[in-house]
Amino acid sequence: MSKAKQLIFWIVLLAALAFYPKVFGIYYTNVFISFAIFALFSVSYNLLLGYTGLLSFGHAMFFGVGGYGTALALEHVEGMPLIVSVLLGAVAAIALALILCPIVVRVSGTAFAMLHLAFGQLMYVLALKLRGITGGEDGIGGFPIPDLNLFGIVSIDMTHPLNFYYFAVALLGLSLLFLWFFTKTPFGSIMIAIRDNAERVDYMGFKVPQSKAIIYTVSGCFAGVAGSIYTLFQNLISADDGFHVMVSFAPIIITMVGGIGSFFGPIMGAGIFGIIEELTSRYTERVELVMGLILILVILFAPLGFMGFVNFLKQRFSEAVS
Amino acid sequence: MNILETKALSHDFGGLQVLVDVNLKIKEGERHAIIGPNGAGKTTLFNVITGTYKPGEGTVLFKNKEITGFPPHKLVRLGMGRSFQITSTFTWLTAFQNIRMGILSKRGIRFNFFNFLDKMDDVTRETDEVLKRINLDGERDIPASMLSYGKSRSLEISMALATDPDLVMLDEPTAGMSVDETHNAVELIRKLTEGKTMVIIEHDMDVVFSLADRITVLHLGGILASGHPDEIKENQAVKDAYLGEMEV
Repeated sequence: MSKAKQLIFWIVLLAALAFYPKVFGIYYTNVFISFAIFALFSVSYNLLLGYTGLLSFGHAMFFGVGGYGTALALEHVEGMPLIVSVLLGAVAAIALALILCPIVVRVSGTAFAMLHLAFGQLMYVLALKLRGITGGEDGIGGFPIPDLNLFGIVSIDMTHPLNFYYFAVALLGLSLLFLWFFTKTPFGSIMIAIRDNAERVDYMGFKVPQSKAIIYTVSGCFAGVAGSIYTLFQNLISADDGFHVMVSFAPIIITMVGGIGSFFGPIMGAGIFGIIEELTSRYTERVELVMGLILILVILFAPLGFMGFVNFLKQRFSEAVS
Repeated sequence: MNILETKALSHDFGGLQVLVDVNLKIKEGERHAIIGPNGAGKTTLFNVITGTYKPGEGTVLFKNKEITGFPPHKLVRLGMGRSFQITSTFTWLTAFQNIRMGILSKRGIRFNFFNFLDKMDDVTRETDEVLKRINLDGERDIPASMLSYGKSRSLEISMALATDPDLVMLDEPTAGMSVDETHNAVELIRKLTEGKTMVIIEHDMDVVFSLADRITVLHLGGILASGHPDEIKENQAVKDAYLGEMEV
């Protein structure tokens, strides 16, 4: 893309995001926030699955820990600034990743997946049982949402849905931008090489376990940010919201449907997921049934997901033209 | 000076003795071929030296430093490169990206999160130069898995050399190649390993005798003979064990 085209793209995108709430109203604004949260959650997951080739059945633990970190900070610390509470959620997720990575970077494949299922369920049970800290089944809700204080100049009321929309979209957007850049750095290329052939990466002079540990921590950190914003958005985090196994499966389904081999696939997937959830929930409560069917169809007929299908069509089109 | 030396190296797989008391000496600047019948332990010897397995017993010295059981990435950083008998490229990455991994490693660019890789022009330029030297500039943006067999073998060999090692260990670089491809591969190896020390495992005797200036014969996990190509040709024990089976 040329410089001018890029500039136009960014202006159009920012304008669209800015005017979205005005055009679609408050209900769809909240739907969009939900989409953006799951887009970031899934993109962070795709660092493991799509980029490094690690299938995890327990990514929810980072999402949940990020959420609980933020909720606990706001519940117990008076005058906790909003941004710091989000950062604390991210730090909690980073801490969990650092605790786990000495174990998990040495395994891959089925062992990695099942180990994460186990750790994820462990976190779920802990969230239910450590009632004194987590509030058990009820979770932590109704904690104060502080105003967003920008350099002591302005103070913005975050309980106002429109203000929260801009805050959430900005934070999620910046996180996505950061992750995109991360995949384009020299380290990002090591990540892809590990997926292709970890043994050869070692024989090219790179440390595989250490590299995996960094990827794992970055992935966990941004899942934590997503969980943190989710918690602020709902003003609630519970074991079912944060740690349930379906929360772990959501990014897998989203990534598979959107396209595993591309950065933007999971964002597309989150969009598709959001639209289908919106449409089907008008007729039935069995949203998972529809998503499951779609997942089966995608795996059978478009294994590279929506983005893979788009690329296939593009290729066909350019062949037909030439 | 010996760049690589093994002392009383032994290795077994669950009781199956694959290497028995191997004392190998590779002089700096030498082109050393390791030959021997199937199952003689050639690849295992490579694996034990280059860090795939830790040896059961014995020591390995590289540049007079003990490196026994060092992991591969450490050895690469010390200046050892290795190619594989079974092509082991990054299949979904393009030829360019495959070579670029080696260039990054050579330049010590490992944990860099701050630069756009595609905009690191000196890395791109150096990678393109390597591609040109190995005649893969026409296939620059083709995924490694889509390359022809001969080309993917060239890529395999070149990846071992992209990190600019002092000692390069090639495990059957011409395995499965046609006569023409073999001829090209030999020229490529000659060109790329100039000024470097090379250890090569090879079955094709034409390749061995055209490239090597010393030969070690491995048989049943031990060294049967070691010396100049002419000596090896005349060695009775070698003839009985191995060369006798084929026209030399």
